[in-house]
Amino acid sequence: MTDDRGYVTTLTSYPERIISIAPSNTEILFALGLDDKVVGITEYCNYPYNFTAWFEAGNITNIGGYFTPNMEAIVSLEPDLLLAAHGMEDLVDDLREVYGYKVLILDPKSLDDVLNDFMLVGRATNSIDEATALVSVCQNKWDAVNTKIAEVTSKPTVYYETWYDPIWTIGSETWENGLIEAAGGINIFVNDPLEHFSTNDEAIIQLSPEVILLPFGHGYGPPFWGSFTQVKERPGWSTVNAVQNDNLYEINADMIARSGPRAFDVLGILAEIFHPN
Amino acid sequence: MASENVESRYFKRASRWKLIILVLVLVMIVTSILSLGIGFAKIPFSNIFQIIAKRIPFLNNLVDTSLVIPSEESIILQIRVPRILAGILVGAALAAAGVIYQGIFKNPMADSYVLGVSAGASVGASLVILFGVSFTLLAISTVQIAAFICAVLTVFLVYSISKVGGRVPITTLLLSGIAVTIFLSAIVTIIQVMAGERLQIIVFWLMGGFYNIYMSDIWAIFPFIIFGIFASYFFVRDLNILALGEETAQHLGVDTAKVTKWLLIISSMVAAAAVSISGLIGFVGLMIPHMTRLIIGPDHRILLPASAITGAIFLVACDAVARVVLAPVELPVGVITALCGGPFFIYLLRKKKSKYSL
Repeated sequence: MTDDRGYVTTLTSYPERIISIAPSNTEILFALGLDDKVVGITEYCNYPYNFTAWFEAGNITNIGGYFTPNMEAIVSLEPDLLLAAHGMEDLVDDLREVYGYKVLILDPKSLDDVLNDFMLVGRATNSIDEATALVSVCQNKWDAVNTKIAEVTSKPTVYYETWYDPIWTIGSETWENGLIEAAGGINIFVNDPLEHFSTNDEAIIQLSPEVILLPFGHGYGPPFWGSFTQVKERPGWSTVNAVQNDNLYEINADMIARSGPRAFDVLGILAEIFHPN
Repeated sequence: MASENVESRYFKRASRWKLIILVLVLVMIVTSILSLGIGFAKIPFSNIFQIIAKRIPFLNNLVDTSLVIPSEESIILQIRVPRILAGILVGAALAAAGVIYQGIFKNPMADSYVLGVSAGASVGASLVILFGVSFTLLAISTVQIAAFICAVLTVFLVYSISKVGGRVPITTLLLSGIAVTIFLSAIVTIIQVMAGERLQIIVFWLMGGFYNIYMSDIWAIFPFIIFGIFASYFFVRDLNILALGEETAQHLGVDTAKVTKWLLIISSMVAAAAVSISGLIGFVGLMIPHMTRLIIGPDHRILLPASAITGAIFLVACDAVARVVLAPVELPVGVITALCGGPFFIYLLRKKKSKYSL
């Protein structure tokens, strides 16, 4: 098996005790029907089920945070496969070299990569048929979007707000930027080769995006941006194109951030926002 | 003859002080105007002049704003002007509080955060961010309100810990300030560990900066800072006498306990108001008073206002740099204050080290 980082892992038997160290990986594993093979997930995993009850019932183990999982929890689960994600290279080195675990890093940069990852996980877990089916379902959703945007003549400029006060948004080196592009929009910071970064109101007002995307589902409580009215009333924002034309939309933060099967659903939602007709 | 000499010296000094303040105010105005022209959007100075002039009675009939794009007007009036005002207020507040703390504690390491203002504000802000209850209440964000309240509460806590039989020994006050700060820093660390995805928001708040400053924020802190600085000016002579030592001061008729208490209350309010909108900005409160002292001397009658204006100039300039140096990425202004201020201060210290004292 060669993972997304080119690391070659040899699996001698199909895994029975899998740990997912990222919510997107958990979504892939459950989409492939591997419910009873997954023994550990992170505390941020919340789809396809609300896992809180599972943790309490002892059906699955909470291994802690995304970048800082509890090593003892991992070791005590005796996993025979771990699925990691980007940004946890040191952890993965430890898991491989110190503990001798088999680890696959899923780090897709494009929707094609996501489909390949479905197949990679499918091959690793003896569920190739399920993976093929999942790929075909997702490919159909993607094709529908491609057909839709093939006809469009112009693409709207889009501002995606990760956080407000201070403003955090996305540069071109992010997963979200790729999704917006695939759905027929143009991130206003597409020319900035950055990941998530902080900027200020002035940049948004100056670039005057045609669509503003606001995430919901960040933890609990009301969204950080309040309401559409509050966003429109932010000082100086009245001249922004999206505010003048009432093109503010909320979007599920988990769906847009996670490179799993739901990426193809959010793709359709975004395409509908960018090209309603 | 002798009295005439004293008199002329007095007037000479008074006019020199007036000149210093005048020059500093002019530099502050020039820095602010230059800073108005700096940012992500490239707005020509002629447009900026027209946008501003349109708002000034009598001048508004003389300008032609037909070439000004509406977004430029929004950027100047609603983004840059509040930021510059915030830079002035926060810079002045931190520097003035620094002068007062250094005067009271007679300690060059004392700054506007020494009584736990920074640690208290950090706990308040981090808690609000952690529990996701950051929203806007009466045009002021709950993060700011919590930061301000916790900062003030922390100072009260430190003050009451230090109270020994109705007296508040300066050394005990300094030490309990440090102890409480360490304790609260540990709490902030716990909050950060628990914060998960919100960690970076807390870290950025702690780094300090003028993100999303609006006029409502300015109005919220303006009274605390301006009245605070003016009120503390009534105590500048007492601060000069305190510098001679507590005992001497008492012999000269200064009620040191009362003066210390009032100055601590005032300067902590001033610092807390500043921290509540800007987060933690290092260097200004510690170094600006020293820099000013190196240049104009230790007399608090001139040191306090001169430091306040110098702090304002310095912070406005640093914020302008923070806005554009990596645009569209915005750097925390605290990074710039430390990067520019550190080497300049070392230069001043080397140049004048033989003569320097508090």
